[in-house]
Amino acid sequence: MAEMDKKTEDFDLDAMFADMRTQDVVPAPDFMARVLADALDAQAAAAPVTVAPRPPSRLRQLLAAIGGWPAVAGLATAGVAGLWIGVNPPASIMTTAESFLGTTVTDQYLVDLMPSYEFAMAEG
Amino acid sequence: MPFDAFADVSDDALLVLYANGDPDAARALNIRLTPRAFGQAMRMLGDRAEAEDVAQDAMLRLWKIAPDWRRGEAKVTTWLYRVVANLCTDRLRKQRNVDIDSVPEPEDDRDGVEGDMQNAARMAALRDALAELPDRQRQAVVLRHIEGLGNPEIAEIMEISTEAVESLTARGKRALAAILAGRREELGYTDG
Repeated sequence: MAEMDKKTEDFDLDAMFADMRTQDVVPAPDFMARVLADALDAQAAAAPVTVAPRPPSRLRQLLAAIGGWPAVAGLATAGVAGLWIGVNPPASIMTTAESFLGTTVTDQYLVDLMPSYEFAMAEG
Repeated sequence: MPFDAFADVSDDALLVLYANGDPDAARALNIRLTPRAFGQAMRMLGDRAEAEDVAQDAMLRLWKIAPDWRRGEAKVTTWLYRVVANLCTDRLRKQRNVDIDSVPEPEDDRDGVEGDMQNAARMAALRDALAELPDRQRQAVVLRHIEGLGNPEIAEIMEISTEAVESLTARGKRALAAILAGRREELGYTDG
């Protein structure tokens, strides 16, 4: 170990290290410019991109106009109820229709869409 | 220079400003850190073109990591020393695998003064000897004796204990002396 330390001293490694440390290693201006260009490019690439919000689709516009999904639920209920009244109109409605139209509503104005269903209802 | 405005701003604060899109922060970081990265690479590799490649690569990694940089976790310079050291190690390893004779000779920055030539030869010999060291020993020796860093910072850069740093630098220095022993005359050291 002592012999090795002597060798280290012989070469004056510390002086060699110091010479290397103080070497003139100034970067070239064009190299500095390249690194700065990289920096500005990376900065531009990482910048948050402001994307304009997409216009809503026609379906969404329609939904918004009628009041959203709750309104659609109400609309659907009303539609089903209307269909049901059309298929199987209560007697009072028939009477009202007759008095309004001033004539007797005959079967020829009624479309019997589901006769078997009516039969099934009559059967209970 | 407008960069004086950043004289009191820490590196990691500058990095946050850079990530927020401040171009002056980019310029200030470039002026502050690029010469340091280049100097470290130049001292390890001894070739200007290679050192520029390494320093540019290391700085590019810094630019890209900036948005995710977590302040206070590590010093920017420590991170940069580590990246440059690792990139240089990769280059030296490739050079060693290709052909040791193809390692470029160091530049003679100043014109033909004899003493400078001999000094350049010494630096080349030291660099060659360093290149022969195992990677970790070389990193530790370069950071300790050439970059002039303290053992705690080297320990952080190399992610090892300070005791391990001391051991690596001591072994590295002894190995360097052994390698250089065969090149005494070349280095201008005569008897004693």
